[in-house]
Amino acid sequence: MATTAQQVQMRADQAAHRRPTSYYVKHTLRYLVLILIGLVLFTPFILAFIGTFKTDAEIVAYPPQFFPRVWRWENWVELWNTDVGQGGTFPQWLFNTAFLSVTVAILQVIFGSMAAYAFARLNFPGRNLLFTFMLASMMIPGAVTLIPAFVLMGKLRLLNTFWSLILPGAVGANAIFILTQFFRSIPRDLEEAALIDGASSLQIYKDIILPLTRPALLTVFILQFQGMWNNFLTPLLYLNSPNKWVLNVALSIFQQQFKAQWNLILVGAMFNAIPVLILFFLFSKYYIEGVAYTGVKG
Amino acid sequence: MAKQFSPAAPRESSRSGLVPALLAFLVTFLVLMVIALFNAPTRGGPQVMRTIETYLQEVRTTAIPFLIAAAVFSAVLAFFFARAIRSVWSHRARRLNMLTGYAFLAPYLLVTLTFTIGVMAFAFYISFTRYDIFTPPEWIGFDNYARAFNGLVDPTARDFIQSLYNVFWYAVIVVTFQTAIAIALAVLLNTPMRFKQFFRTIFYAPSVTSSVVITLIFIWLYLRTGYLNYFLDLVLGIFGIEWEGINWLGDPRGLIQLIVQAFGGDIPSSQWYLRGPSIAWMAIMVQNIFTTAPTFMIMFLAALQDINPTLYEAAAIDGANGWQQFWKITLPLLRPIILLVVVLGTIGALQVFDQVYLATRGGPLGTSLTPVYLIFREALGQQGPIQMGYASAMAFILGVIIFLFTFVQRRFLERGTEIY
Repeated sequence: MATTAQQVQMRADQAAHRRPTSYYVKHTLRYLVLILIGLVLFTPFILAFIGTFKTDAEIVAYPPQFFPRVWRWENWVELWNTDVGQGGTFPQWLFNTAFLSVTVAILQVIFGSMAAYAFARLNFPGRNLLFTFMLASMMIPGAVTLIPAFVLMGKLRLLNTFWSLILPGAVGANAIFILTQFFRSIPRDLEEAALIDGASSLQIYKDIILPLTRPALLTVFILQFQGMWNNFLTPLLYLNSPNKWVLNVALSIFQQQFKAQWNLILVGAMFNAIPVLILFFLFSKYYIEGVAYTGVKG
Repeated sequence: MAKQFSPAAPRESSRSGLVPALLAFLVTFLVLMVIALFNAPTRGGPQVMRTIETYLQEVRTTAIPFLIAAAVFSAVLAFFFARAIRSVWSHRARRLNMLTGYAFLAPYLLVTLTFTIGVMAFAFYISFTRYDIFTPPEWIGFDNYARAFNGLVDPTARDFIQSLYNVFWYAVIVVTFQTAIAIALAVLLNTPMRFKQFFRTIFYAPSVTSSVVITLIFIWLYLRTGYLNYFLDLVLGIFGIEWEGINWLGDPRGLIQLIVQAFGGDIPSSQWYLRGPSIAWMAIMVQNIFTTAPTFMIMFLAALQDINPTLYEAAAIDGANGWQQFWKITLPLLRPIILLVVVLGTIGALQVFDQVYLATRGGPLGTSLTPVYLIFREALGQQGPIQMGYASAMAFILGVIIFLFTFVQRRFLERGTEIY
């Protein structure tokens, strides 16, 4: 219970529409903690970014200086111009990664929304069974399908081609699940009106559902794009020649090649991270809502 | 489930569904058998597939039992599908729905049947053989499985058992911490304040980058001459403690072993399982929590927004302080999300690969081996001969373990997840 003095102060504050000082203290403290956490989360990136400008000697020196004596932009140029032969250059790797990510994301949106439409709106025998089956398939660890898929790709002569990643990646239970839940939550009025007017399912899908669910489709696109961009194991397994590497794989090979030249390795890491971060800051709303949607509706 | 709205469709009972059903049976059976044929366990490599004839020849020698099993399975599936076709054929609206439905599902079905079901069948068959691609698979029964569990009796062949031990520690520590930190961050952010979106974005940003980038940065930070040692040197230096840099990612000493060593004892290598997670392994755990906690924070934030604020007001009127409100209202209502986060986190933890491949390759004295890394290593023969059969067996054991874990977790945590 507040004491009389405090009560008097509170009433005075309320009369003057002033908040008690404890409110300001609590809020400033909260902001400070949040800024601190943000700094802690970003520290590795900040250190790495600054490290890319150091010389070979500075990067392995102990105790490490925070800032380099001279800001060596040459490191960035040197890594961008790396050529490991057989067409292995940075622009090529950037293209490979972007190409794969965009293709897989688009295919997942198209095929996933088709499957989601069938699950959410059409009624046919076997639908519930297939949906349960799809849910169950989400629990299958990737490790089980890893080797046999590799052998199959070998037989189909698709090793070291982009098909080995695009074909299995063209559909995903995750995307279908998110889209099905989303489709189910749309009111049916528009579709029923279209049905009365004689529209076929294909027309409904193309002209009504797709435009209506654009935010969800964009979210799925971004999630799958990011998933493929950050993928390491499957490109490592399948894309072996230098002109087919993705950024992740090229980076891992750099690490073995440049050993102690961390200033260069970190430049490679920055090249990998910066496009994704830029995309993220541009579309952060969709990224975050996509992740949240997976959690809440899952 | 709402009724399908359709204009009055005349029942055309004159259309017998027999012919389409037979057609459906044949088509389904053929498609499934082609998939099975491609996945048949034979020698691998380009020379086998030079022409159809050479491949069929190969199949004839090694894969007949597999194909017979596949044929039985395909026939059963095709039969049920044909029966469904027959039952809807006479009713125009239902027929249209069925054809459209399966047409829309066709890409998903084809890809999944080939690259998930088909390959799993192959993997299952292979796990009972000795298979190195260049020679036909050789049936050895449960030998691969026995070998995987051999580590329980023979400490020198303990790779797989040790990998299971490692990911067990990983799952326990990482899932606990990342869930707790994610809840804490979400609660912190969930107050009406300015810049909430900004902080949310900033916190999530590190998770957007690939694990390769994060791992490389952390390898650099964990160097003996790296920033972490320097930081500890500075901080502990303030208290006058001498800090000799540790090679974090190369230190095999286990957590429990360190505690025991502090008291003057030690744990011999024959009881390696008593040593606990090694310093190197825990370093990788910390690095992972860094990036996974913000992802789950986003999920918790979304769930927190669904909680009815009048609950808190009612509690405040009854005299509950913030702490009590958190424990008695927030946490119980977050239960379904906590369950989801724990399940997802465990599934992810049991399949760690990227960090191990990049940072430690199985680590000091095998203390950072993980099942997926082992599978990769054995299947590609990176440290010995190619042993796809053994790798497949390990993969299936891992799959069963993951399934059991998630099943138990669901059962355990799903009590009382009502929505208010």
